[in-house]
Amino acid sequence: MKRFAWILALAILLLPVLVFAQKVTLEFVVWNYSLETIQDNIALFEKANPNIKVNVKDYTWPTYHDTMVLRLKGKTRTDVFYNGEDWLPEFAAAGWVAPLEDYFPEVRKYKEKTASYALADMTYNGKLYGLSYYADLITFQYNKKILKDKGITPPNNWDDVLNASLKLKAGGLQFPFVYEYDETLPNFLQAYISQVYGRGGDMFDAQLKPLFNDPDSEAFKHLQWLQDAVVKHKLVAYGSHETKVDLAMNTGQHAFTVMYNYMLAAMNNVEKPLTGQFDMIPMPGAKHGALGFAKFYCLTAQAAKDPARRNAAWKFIEAFGGGDYKVAKRWAVEKGLGFAALPLMDDPDVKKAWANWIDMEKFKAQAKLAKNGTQTEWMGMWSGFFRPLLAKAINGDSSVADVMDQGAKKWNEYKELLGR
Amino acid sequence: MPSKLELSRYPLQWLFPVLILVVVFTVYPFAYAIYNSFFQILLVLPTKPFIGFKNYANVVASPYFWESLGNTLTFAAITAPVTVLISLGVARLLLTRFVGRGVVRALVLLPWAIPGSVAGILWLWIFHGQFGVLNALLYKLGIIGSYIQFTKDPRLAKVCVMIAHVWTQIPFTSVLLMAALTTVNKELYEAAEVDGAGVFRRLLSVTIPSVAGMMIISLIYELIIGITAYDVVYSLTGGGPGGATTLLSYYIWKESFTQLNFGTGSALGVLVALLTLVLITTILKVIPNQVMVREGE
Repeated sequence: MKRFAWILALAILLLPVLVFAQKVTLEFVVWNYSLETIQDNIALFEKANPNIKVNVKDYTWPTYHDTMVLRLKGKTRTDVFYNGEDWLPEFAAAGWVAPLEDYFPEVRKYKEKTASYALADMTYNGKLYGLSYYADLITFQYNKKILKDKGITPPNNWDDVLNASLKLKAGGLQFPFVYEYDETLPNFLQAYISQVYGRGGDMFDAQLKPLFNDPDSEAFKHLQWLQDAVVKHKLVAYGSHETKVDLAMNTGQHAFTVMYNYMLAAMNNVEKPLTGQFDMIPMPGAKHGALGFAKFYCLTAQAAKDPARRNAAWKFIEAFGGGDYKVAKRWAVEKGLGFAALPLMDDPDVKKAWANWIDMEKFKAQAKLAKNGTQTEWMGMWSGFFRPLLAKAINGDSSVADVMDQGAKKWNEYKELLGR
Repeated sequence: MPSKLELSRYPLQWLFPVLILVVVFTVYPFAYAIYNSFFQILLVLPTKPFIGFKNYANVVASPYFWESLGNTLTFAAITAPVTVLISLGVARLLLTRFVGRGVVRALVLLPWAIPGSVAGILWLWIFHGQFGVLNALLYKLGIIGSYIQFTKDPRLAKVCVMIAHVWTQIPFTSVLLMAALTTVNKELYEAAEVDGAGVFRRLLSVTIPSVAGMMIISLIYELIIGITAYDVVYSLTGGGPGGATTLLSYYIWKESFTQLNFGTGSALGVLVALLTLVLITTILKVIPNQVMVREGE
């Protein structure tokens, strides 16, 4: 009896040690943008949380969605991953991700500190599913030197863009507009939507009925504008990726582009030949709106089921996407990535770093006019269907009316199937 | 080594290990695809209701299907014969004795060792509309006044994909044809030369009839590869611009993993398998038996 009591006492004494010694390993999946920064952030996190080990697995951006579908459907162990605003409803409906609010109600405190478009993008059925990795806008960017040299004022609407482009072409610039053209990328559709927002249009009404197939809609008019710019006026060169558009803009052979705003930081980088020549203006059009979006750290449903993994994942998500926003600030300062955290708008370090490549006040003004995209369970699938059609219309291989009708038909099919 | 008697006495037992592999890796997946093709399998939905032939109806009603079917048939019809003809020339060249033949052989066979997706990326850097080697070369030679968007123009993109695909296929077909060429009786060439036949006549009257069987096997093989081609398209054009280079296999992948619709993806897979079967059967029926038999004589 005495021996048993000793063993019991020893076990009770050792229990906390055993529990603390148990290291939780998190599987963290990302797309491979600036992997060295991600790894460094992880190293700092592990140092501060010695009981949590983080394995990072990266995939390329163009293949990310499909790889994640396979990974999550195949139940490959995944705890936290980068999620996109257009995939959240799809992944949530499939039961692959878990709402943070259900497990960690304290996450709600971040809502008021988050830009509205980003908050909407991370919310599904009224529940917050993540904290932001970054949030940005798709903006209209231009070479201010080229315009100044030719005596052209920055365009205010798409007629101005056309007239300025024609003038530049007549002056020797073969393709004044360079357009990121790759139908495999989700942002191919998002860039178009951002331009539609600039005109004051929208893709869908409040009941999710397509508006874009109406010839009087701004979406319809804008696709026609793009087709005319490519086919009729031959004003547009294509870049297959944002990095290629950056290189092309830095040749001085193009004046306008529409891209993720953080690319302005890349184009104005001091090591680039035309550093300092690039700027943004409000998206042309009557309303100057733009698409705002958020990419975020998301907890998987499989991790949520295991308390140890779930708690470690929350610690990780909060350290990376919340807290004092140290990680988001690092991305903003070092890489020019936009952010969802409103407090960073007035952060002196961010302001100082951004002053090298953008007028912060202009960005703030555009952010105020920005709104998020329409996110439904079928948006990712529909986007995959519609992007090749969009590419066809821009190239002039299909009429705008045909493309819009096919897109609307498919949207309605998905809505009928999944919209209940 | 088993004797002939042992092999003939227990045929099923000897075939069993291979049959297992065929059943596991070919029959089962195909049967499972047929089964899935009758269900609505959308990954975002928790249920998979039986829907009969609706997936097939949806496939046939889709504009992408007809476009990718047309692309695939054109692609296979052009790349298969072109690959075989070029490979015949390459095989003949590699059998000729010349200084540095070993190096040339290694270089010609190099694409064989390169995965299709990597080959696609290599060719992307050649055809790139802004930084491509081909554009730079043509521009420097004064042939073009401005860079051409090879992979962004629907017609040119099709040609680009075909060139890249043929490049990846030449080594294997060349090896097959080299093996066939080494079996041709040299006396036939000598007799043809005595009869006054030139190079072209010898090619038509001696070489081609002698290796016709292998050429047809290569052609069928290349047709199957053409119909099921995927990796070069994936990395070179992503099926674009606007679906211009979307082949059926790439379309299956898109339906399954981008549209998350495994039901339609399975229906497409079954249709592609049937198409391949019909095509090969037709070719084998059309070709006279003597052509296939001649080589074995």
